[in-house]
Amino acid sequence: MKFLRPETLGEAAALAREHEDAKFISGGTAVVLMLQQRLIFPTHLISLTGVTDVPGWREVRRTETGLRIGGGVLLSAVARSAHVRELAPSLASAAGVVGNARIRNQATTGGNVAESDYASDPPSVLVSLGATVEVDDGTAARIVPAAEMFTDFFTTDLRTGEVVTAVHVPAAGPGSHASYTKFCSRSAEDRPCVGVATAARLQDGVLASLEVVLGAVAAIPQRWPEVTRAALGRPLDEQVAQEVAEEYAMLVDPIDDHRGSAWYRREMVRVQVRRSLLELAGDGGAA
Amino acid sequence: MSDTSERITLSVNGISQEVTTAPSRSLLEVLREDLALTGAKEGCGVGVCGACSVLVDGKLMSSCIVPVGMVQGRAVTTVEGLAAEDGTLTPVQTAFMECGGFQCGICTPGQVVAATALLRECPDPAAEEVREWMTGNLCRCTGYYSIVAAVLQAAKAGQGESD
Ligand SMILES: Cc1cc2nc3c(=O)[nH]c(=O)nc-3n(C[C@H](O)[C@H](O)[C@H](O)COP(=O)(O)OP(=O)(O)OC[C@H]3O[C@@H](n4cnc5c(N)ncnc54)[C@H](O)[C@@H]3O)c2cc1C
Ligand code: FES
Ligand code: FES
Repeated sequence: MKFLRPETLGEAAALAREHEDAKFISGGTAVVLMLQQRLIFPTHLISLTGVTDVPGWREVRRTETGLRIGGGVLLSAVARSAHVRELAPSLASAAGVVGNARIRNQATTGGNVAESDYASDPPSVLVSLGATVEVDDGTAARIVPAAEMFTDFFTTDLRTGEVVTAVHVPAAGPGSHASYTKFCSRSAEDRPCVGVATAARLQDGVLASLEVVLGAVAAIPQRWPEVTRAALGRPLDEQVAQEVAEEYAMLVDPIDDHRGSAWYRREMVRVQVRRSLLELAGDGGAA
Repeated sequence: MSDTSERITLSVNGISQEVTTAPSRSLLEVLREDLALTGAKEGCGVGVCGACSVLVDGKLMSSCIVPVGMVQGRAVTTVEGLAAEDGTLTPVQTAFMECGGFQCGICTPGQVVAATALLRECPDPAAEEVREWMTGNLCRCTGYYSIVAAVLQAAKAGQGESD
């Protein structure tokens, strides 16, 4: 296995196309574990750490519509960034509860998205906020909605050679409230058993928009827009919280793993969705 | 190992080092086996326990899941590099001794490095912040109270110093 250190995006992408069994590596927190467990046998590791020509690669920038978080930005920086805390606080919370301080100092935004790990915190939040992912293969860039980026267990919409160059998050407008709740079934620093990302906008005391996205319960983040749509025009109260929680618990088809059986996950969805929505209500939404 | 060896230069505790090795080997293994720095320990080997904590360019990381190829040209600090050259211990090290922040000691180098990183970022943390940060460093002996006490005492001592 060879370790390659391209200095430009174009070089990195060309190397990935040239070597069939090459793998990009950013923080390496996922790649190293897969190598250790002999789940992957790449001929080349292409390090993205030294790429210098992606604008804002390691920066969080404010844009006209919200935030642009560079693919190389560490999760610890996402959690601490004043811009993220102000404009996308639920994303800051999700980044801040990933693993431990060491993992957050090593793992990157681009790596987290590209990994599409079902037991991850940030993806469900990105979907709940209507984030989009900027990808570039050195010749052309495209924008993929976060909701379409994650396609299956550890599988994304990325094509060979495409690098996640940034994540765009629309700014929370007036009346917006969002939260991320990580429920762990084993120890405090574990990955989530169930993650609940919510985002709501209230206007004149009633819901103008509502998103509830579940993480860690299935291959990819789960949402049922027909359920949350039924809550629009109503205040965010106990009854709405209860209804959405019941519907989500009924509709979810949870996985069974060492963090919880399918039955247990369904029950936790019921509890955690209701709690998350009530907390959101307490945050300013209560009628 | 079919891996191609590479010459990798890095700074370890302020000293420039050159190792010829497979870049996918863990930084922990290189520190312990090639550079004879055995302060960082291997506990879990998968980023969970914190026994292998080191600083890379000042940032706390698990050396067990950092491929050495990734630290080419970067500065690594291990627990051996914290005390002054004459052996004077840092406030964190002194506080761990005074508060009994360890028993068997295997987690201690990691705890000390993690606490050092915390206090550099946040010189006056609340007890809750200390607990939160240190959750990533497991200890099977102390029950954690004395570790938290040590970090808080070190914070106080450190402040006294800079006043
Ligand atoms: C001990 C431990 C605990 C953890 N706990 C949690 C947790 O509680 N919650 C949670 O959400 N996650 C957790 N994680 C997972 C962690 O969040 C991911 O491993 C991390 O986000 C991946 O980012 P990375 O930069 O390290 O990616 P890498 O390991 O470098 O890469 C991951 C994948 O993405 C590809 N890739 C990397 N960068 C890019 C890019 N810019 N563009 C395109 N492809 C790219 C790689 O080829 C690889 O397939 C934990 C991991 C560990 C080791
Ligand atoms: S040995 Fe590295 S974190 Fe446990
Ligand atoms: S002192 Fe024994 S594990 Fe911490």
